[in-house]
Amino acid sequence: MAVETMTIEVAQASAIGFKAIGAGLAVGLAGMGTGLAQLGIGGAAVGATAENKEMFGLALLFTVIPETVVIFGLVIALLLLF
Amino acid sequence: MFEPQTMSKLLIAASKDQLEAVVRELYRHNLFHIEDFVESDAQGLEGCKIGMPLPGASESSSDLVRIRSIENTYGVSSKGMDTDERKMPTSEVRQRIERELQAIEDEAAGFADEKITLENTIRDYETRITELKPYTLFPANLADLKGFENFVVLAGLVPAHVSLSVPNEMFITAYEKSNLLIAVVPRENAEEAEKDLFEAGFQPIPVPDENGTAGERTVWYTHEITRLEGDLKVVSGRISAQKEKNATFLVACDELLTAEVERAEAPLRFATTEETFVAEGWVPADMVAALTSDLQSATGGKVFVSEVEFDPIEEAVPVEYHNPDFSKPTEMLMDIYSRPQYGEFDPTILVSIVFPIFFGFILGDVGYGIILLALGYYLRKFLKDDAGQKLLDVFRNASISSIIFGLIYSECLGFALPWSPIGINRHLNIGSHASGHGPDAVLMLVLTAWIGILHITLGRMLHMYNAANMMKPGRHRSKVIFGQLGWILVMWGILLMLWSLFEMPLMPVLAGYPAVFVGINGFGVAGAVLLLVGIIGIGQDSMLELMELPTVISHVLSYTRLAAVGLSSVAIAMVTNYIAIELIIEPQLANLSIIGIVIILIGIVIFLIGHILNTALGIMGGGLHSIRLHYVEFFTKFYKGGGKKYEPFGKLRKFTED
Repeated sequence: MAVETMTIEVAQASAIGFKAIGAGLAVGLAGMGTGLAQLGIGGAAVGATAENKEMFGLALLFTVIPETVVIFGLVIALLLLF
Repeated sequence: MFEPQTMSKLLIAASKDQLEAVVRELYRHNLFHIEDFVESDAQGLEGCKIGMPLPGASESSSDLVRIRSIENTYGVSSKGMDTDERKMPTSEVRQRIERELQAIEDEAAGFADEKITLENTIRDYETRITELKPYTLFPANLADLKGFENFVVLAGLVPAHVSLSVPNEMFITAYEKSNLLIAVVPRENAEEAEKDLFEAGFQPIPVPDENGTAGERTVWYTHEITRLEGDLKVVSGRISAQKEKNATFLVACDELLTAEVERAEAPLRFATTEETFVAEGWVPADMVAALTSDLQSATGGKVFVSEVEFDPIEEAVPVEYHNPDFSKPTEMLMDIYSRPQYGEFDPTILVSIVFPIFFGFILGDVGYGIILLALGYYLRKFLKDDAGQKLLDVFRNASISSIIFGLIYSECLGFALPWSPIGINRHLNIGSHASGHGPDAVLMLVLTAWIGILHITLGRMLHMYNAANMMKPGRHRSKVIFGQLGWILVMWGILLMLWSLFEMPLMPVLAGYPAVFVGINGFGVAGAVLLLVGIIGIGQDSMLELMELPTVISHVLSYTRLAAVGLSSVAIAMVTNYIAIELIIEPQLANLSIIGIVIILIGIVIFLIGHILNTALGIMGGGLHSIRLHYVEFFTKFYKGGGKKYEPFGKLRKFTED
């Protein structure tokens, strides 16, 4: 019997652990996706702003567009954890 | 409010002998945005020519160039000057230009020369020290290596010891990673010796023209440099003393002469005939009467001012904001995106209210709020220009909002305040104080989704308002309005369907009613109908827009960042406290020792670094995400922008007065 209760406890603990891993993956992978997307946009945005300072607002806007992806990751992680 | 300043288009015509008086009066008022006259595109003014500058323009500009050069020497700039000092009368400035400018200019030129000479000498000596460096290992007088008739001196670096096949006298010693070699060979054997050396990888270094050993000379030059640097300090001191003395006068001159040059060149933007001129431009509608009467009195009634009808949609009317004082700093955030068009809905007031709320919602923490408030006041010393001050005002409002939300959330640097959070709990279960059910993440996510739904609905409604206001009545306008209505219907249709299927906190519960159609209840069916009607509405405006349908969901979910970014900031703060205090400092405090005190200090450093980092992240997170929600999610729903900035002819005088 003792072995069985242990198994349930282990399973519950594992479930929490897997949730944490899932949350980590959600934020981490989404962050990488955002990073990859911002890589190109950010470079171009800095270049455009260097050429013409008035571009700053628009450049910032373009740069932050992929940020939504990582926010979705963060939201999923929060939903998983709480 | 909610719309830019109403403008009037003015046409000012007079005979040329009134030109100067009119220009002076316009400049003084600082209200008239001149519409540049273009000969090739002269509607109604065909045959007119661009005017000639007023007399005195070239003298003023050459004086101005002199002043600017002196300002450059002394490092004077009107931006860094405080304006509350006594203003100088223009007559006094003019007299002093006549009397003193030459002397001040000569003095400045003298200082500049002296400074440059000293700097050049120092640089020259520094080069010599570098040149002497390899020879410091050579103990004899360097002059002894020069001036031979029958011998040649070969000096330089060789990677390894080398022996020459010709008779020679050689000095060789290790120098850095190579060897310094000085060889004296008979002139007739020079070529052979050189060949041997170059084969061994010889790099010649010229022997410096110095009398004495390299060591002595280096010491002498180092002394000289120290002496000259002292002199340079004295000159710099004299320069800053003169700067103190002349700064007020110089900025006053600059202002006076800039004004004169601008006034003198104004006719280049007017249309003129042989005897008359016409100036076209824009004035805020409520200032027209005052400006007209002042122009009349300045010219003795010899000017003709008339208001011209204009088409606000076709013509590029300059745009000046028209907001209550509270919202004025936020105009800076609008300018970063784009100034509204004339007649367009100006969302500055909305942004000025919603932006701080978003910021506080994300970074709701009393401690961080107070730090940011202090930081803002400190930065005021450095950011003195208009845009900087506005930015800091926005920052201040955001910080105050952060403090207010911190009181609601009961948070101060990640610690709990002595009361429970009001409504929303963001405390995570980190550390030994962890208790309760953790943060209300789901509640916050739903709440922020609601904020998104309402914000976006408002944006779509504003688009309808703009279309009704700015577009000519007709089929096209109704299409746009119904298209926007379609977007709203799609969003609320989807919501109705979701409510009819799931129960969610903070949302109306419409699930559980009897199904009327394939398992969906009445509300669900109503939602589906709304969705369908909405899609038709969007489609009749533009079929391509239908591709954007998923943004209905993604833009609303984007607002959940308000919850997510905020929680991550709380997590960082709490983790920092946990590591620094509970893991490092508290165990050491239990039984103090010398090493314990060192570890406690390390704990304090970790605490500080963690919170400094989190403050920086908080500014980025709170500021950028809040403004991004406006720029990307809110403005794209209705805001066009691209208005031309209203830049009136003239200048507010800071340093001079008549």
